[in-house]
Amino acid sequence: MPPKGKAAQKPKAGSSAAATKSPAATPAAPLSTKSTKATPDQQQPQSSTVAEKSKHNFTLCHPFEDLTGKNSLSALPTQADQLVWFASRLVTRLPVRSIGAKGQKDLWKTVNDHSLPPRGFNIRKHQKRQQQHKTADSRGRDIGEYSTKEWELRQEKRVTLSCLQLQSQRFRELRDRQKRGFVDSQTGDTVLVTDSEYLEEKQRRREMDRLKKELYGTQGMGRQGKLALDPEWDDVVPIVVEDPENALAAIAYSPDYAEAMSYLRAVMNSKEYSPRCLKLTEYIINLNPAHYTVWLFRAANIFALKLPILDEITWLNQIALENLKNYQIWHHRHLLVENYYPSISSDPAALSAFAASEREFLTQILAEDTKNYHVWSYRSWLVGKLGTWFNPEELKSTEDLIDQDVRNNSAWSHRFYLVFSDPENCTPGDKYAATEADPKVPGQIVDREVGYAEGKIRLAPQNQSGWNYLRGVLVKGGRELKSVQSFAEEFVMGLGEEGEGGEGEGTGEEVKSSHALDLLAEIYKEQGEKQKADLCLRRLVEKWDRIRGGYWQWRRDGLGLGEVAA
Amino acid sequence: MSTTTTTTSNKPSQPPSPPPPQSSQKAEEEENIEIVSDDNDSDFSSIDSEIPFTNPPSHPFPSNPIMIDSLFTTPPPILDPFPTQTSILQSETIDEVLPFLTAQSQQPDLFTYNDFGVPSLRREAHISFLRSSLGRLPGRFVAADASRPWFLYWCLSGLAMLGEDVREYRDAVRETARSMQNPTGGFGGGGGQLSHLATTYAVVLAIALVGGEETYEVIDRRGMWRWLGGLKQRDGGFEVCKGGEEDIRGAYCAAVIITLLDLPLDLTPDSPAYKPDDPSFNLLTGVADYVRRCQTYEGGISGQPSAEAHGAYAFCALGCLALLGHPAKVIPEYLNLPSLLSWLSSRQYAPEGGFSGRTNKLVDGCYSHWVGACFPLIEAALASSSSSSGSSQPAANDSLFSREGLIRYILCCCQDQGKRGGLRDKPSKMSDAYHTCYVLSGLSAGMHQWVLDEDGEGEGEPGWMVLPYLEGEQVFEGRDRVRAVHPVYVIPQGAVRGMKGYFRGKGGF
Repeated sequence: MPPKGKAAQKPKAGSSAAATKSPAATPAAPLSTKSTKATPDQQQPQSSTVAEKSKHNFTLCHPFEDLTGKNSLSALPTQADQLVWFASRLVTRLPVRSIGAKGQKDLWKTVNDHSLPPRGFNIRKHQKRQQQHKTADSRGRDIGEYSTKEWELRQEKRVTLSCLQLQSQRFRELRDRQKRGFVDSQTGDTVLVTDSEYLEEKQRRREMDRLKKELYGTQGMGRQGKLALDPEWDDVVPIVVEDPENALAAIAYSPDYAEAMSYLRAVMNSKEYSPRCLKLTEYIINLNPAHYTVWLFRAANIFALKLPILDEITWLNQIALENLKNYQIWHHRHLLVENYYPSISSDPAALSAFAASEREFLTQILAEDTKNYHVWSYRSWLVGKLGTWFNPEELKSTEDLIDQDVRNNSAWSHRFYLVFSDPENCTPGDKYAATEADPKVPGQIVDREVGYAEGKIRLAPQNQSGWNYLRGVLVKGGRELKSVQSFAEEFVMGLGEEGEGGEGEGTGEEVKSSHALDLLAEIYKEQGEKQKADLCLRRLVEKWDRIRGGYWQWRRDGLGLGEVAA
Repeated sequence: MSTTTTTTSNKPSQPPSPPPPQSSQKAEEEENIEIVSDDNDSDFSSIDSEIPFTNPPSHPFPSNPIMIDSLFTTPPPILDPFPTQTSILQSETIDEVLPFLTAQSQQPDLFTYNDFGVPSLRREAHISFLRSSLGRLPGRFVAADASRPWFLYWCLSGLAMLGEDVREYRDAVRETARSMQNPTGGFGGGGGQLSHLATTYAVVLAIALVGGEETYEVIDRRGMWRWLGGLKQRDGGFEVCKGGEEDIRGAYCAAVIITLLDLPLDLTPDSPAYKPDDPSFNLLTGVADYVRRCQTYEGGISGQPSAEAHGAYAFCALGCLALLGHPAKVIPEYLNLPSLLSWLSSRQYAPEGGFSGRTNKLVDGCYSHWVGACFPLIEAALASSSSSSGSSQPAANDSLFSREGLIRYILCCCQDQGKRGGLRDKPSKMSDAYHTCYVLSGLSAGMHQWVLDEDGEGEGEPGWMVLPYLEGEQVFEGRDRVRAVHPVYVIPQGAVRGMKGYFRGKGGF
């Protein structure tokens, strides 16, 4: 910078002031120092790009540089020119102290007499500026190639960005004042950041981010994810964890996911439970619903903030429908119900309303995926929790599913649970295993269930679900298997009659269900009719269920008949 | 002198002399790096297309009539004329697999069938697939972020079964495991995730698979022990993570971790299961009873009491019990063995040959393991119980399931037929690491038989001895035999011995 001498500051005011504002206003100047006394209205030559204009201006400001080339004095035409050039060089480099105030003054006089533009004095500054112009924009285009129009637009954006940054800074200051409990001196109110100010700031940062990316590209930007841009998260330092270099099965996370996880680590670390944490969990669950940690953290937030459980369940319903195979969802629901139950346990109306709304949703989701294991597991647990075994609606909705598809084993399984875990019908607790008889099961329940199973088996005799259920009922109810002997025999005719040349003979055996043969083998064995039992098993090995031959053979071995002739 | 040294170290290979031989460790490292960087591609599918597939020279398509039992080529003898969604899906599945089972859906250049109509194991393709799955996974794998340890286990175990030496992954497993371990004990799915029994199980097994004392030492056993105490419940089961669900998977994983790491069983007072009046109540108390409560009226095992019987939980139940004592004693004591066996056996279907996971569900290659690997445990229980206690259940003279059916289903239907490699659920599904591991384990169960040594291998532990199963017709080629894995830990026996021996030798933490 030139010293603050009046003359130095404004050698020929009009032109130089304009020059610093915009190079376009810098007048053209011929080599002769006298004629550099340019006027603003002088036309400049056509130059289309920033680089060309810059070069042009440089020439204007440094009338000798082109000629001197490598600073060689001899290239200058006259001695006077040489003197001026020399003075212009010295004036910015020699400290006042070394040449004294007078020397300095003389130098400036020489320079001013020739009206050299002061900005030209500092060659280094110029070179630096040129370097800046060489940088590329976000699309990799050389800024020097910009037209003046484009360059002006870019400058405007830079100004806008600076303004936004200032406003953002003001926002931070305001928030800081709010945090410290400042009182506005004019209104006397405590400083408060309003929601709309938050929102404005959020939008402002998005705009800033957009401008930054547009102006400078994305390289070296550091924090720029959605959360980093959100003023709500300013006070959280994310914990970034990089996988080790040789980590196995490392996932190339999306920047959004990686950022969200780093914020999750930070808030989990500080055990923060807050609405913003809840929002964060929702955000992550949308990115990866199979993340058990975030689900547990979500539950912890809901309980810590004492949020209404039913709202959460409503929110969860949608997520569950969108992610049918996800099982974290069902444990989350389990936790919600555990938490909610005490508040309604003594209110039968609330309890039954809740049971009904759950059933409605479960029916809806099972319609999408009738055998979903997690849904059914949750359902049986819920029935136990709410004590709705005997609820006719529960049984009815299970029956509906069996009517839709008699082979839906999940529905059969649920029915078994409803009937045989109902404390009205059985010994509570787990005194008796599922495969053991429970003396408390009433006879009429056994009759009813045997009848139900038999009716369904007749529809599709080879459906194992019905047979497993039937056998399960008999065992649980302490009934002998032979009580269904005649029923099972309905599905087997002329066993063993096929013989050697069996085919074509009118009285060949007919088996409508291999499961009937299985059950009959056991019934005959119980009654000591080992040969008949063995025949059933042998026909299973030979024809009716060959893939399980090894198993049937083992059952034959268990009859104790010794070596059985094939 | 010193300057010379500096120069040579800056230039590893001096021009006049041949490059110095690298130390074996270095070579291993380099190889390791190469494998990892090979898969450093951001697009997973593009790696697949780059993996060169090499097949043993294929003999022409068998000219003599292919010997396939009609059991595997025709629909079952009994079909109900009452269609429902289940039966429609079932018959569609039969239509889907039959061309594969009858050697009609083949790409002769990739698939070589033997005289039994069974293609050979595409060992190299599956190896490539598993190695890729251990590499960097693209962003769409984000749903697997909480199960990355599983990838380690599935791939390393699969590679071991395919006969690969997985020790080259030691360093990588060590580093990866460290990044997943929590200071409060146990391993999570990744940095910042809660420790979980399933992920911990997978990491511990991955460590056992690659072995090495330095690798074993990554595990903070004291932290693990405390953490497990915090998951133990008064009903005998385990929560899978703090605040997580309690299920039979948790019980099996905990039993595996406790026995492999030789952890003490005592509970500290901060455990929710700690009983001041009953100091004998420990980590393993009540586990068997919890398992018992999971058996259902069908005979199978459910994930938690009162749910539906499911194949995966049957294996967890049996595996868990087999770790609590001698299988021949513990399994019949806590489970109704005949009804369990009946249910397990019902899981195998014809013509498919493979196993389903539940009654009236479809076959899926992964149940080759979950159901198939139950049979060695059942057979062992039967063999010993009949000889010792005179129980009413006879020993199995022959295989209790159709090994031929299972092997046919796996080799014909579960192998990816393209350049991708890997094994799958069924022909219409894509291969993945999970299925590759468990289908191979099922294949191993089908090819081997296990004998439980009455005396055990010391420390009161049963000794499992494995033999190739050689009864009857062998429908697969000898070179396609996969390595046997321990029937409970599902990793090679040597890996089990290595880890157990190391920690037992330490005495205390």
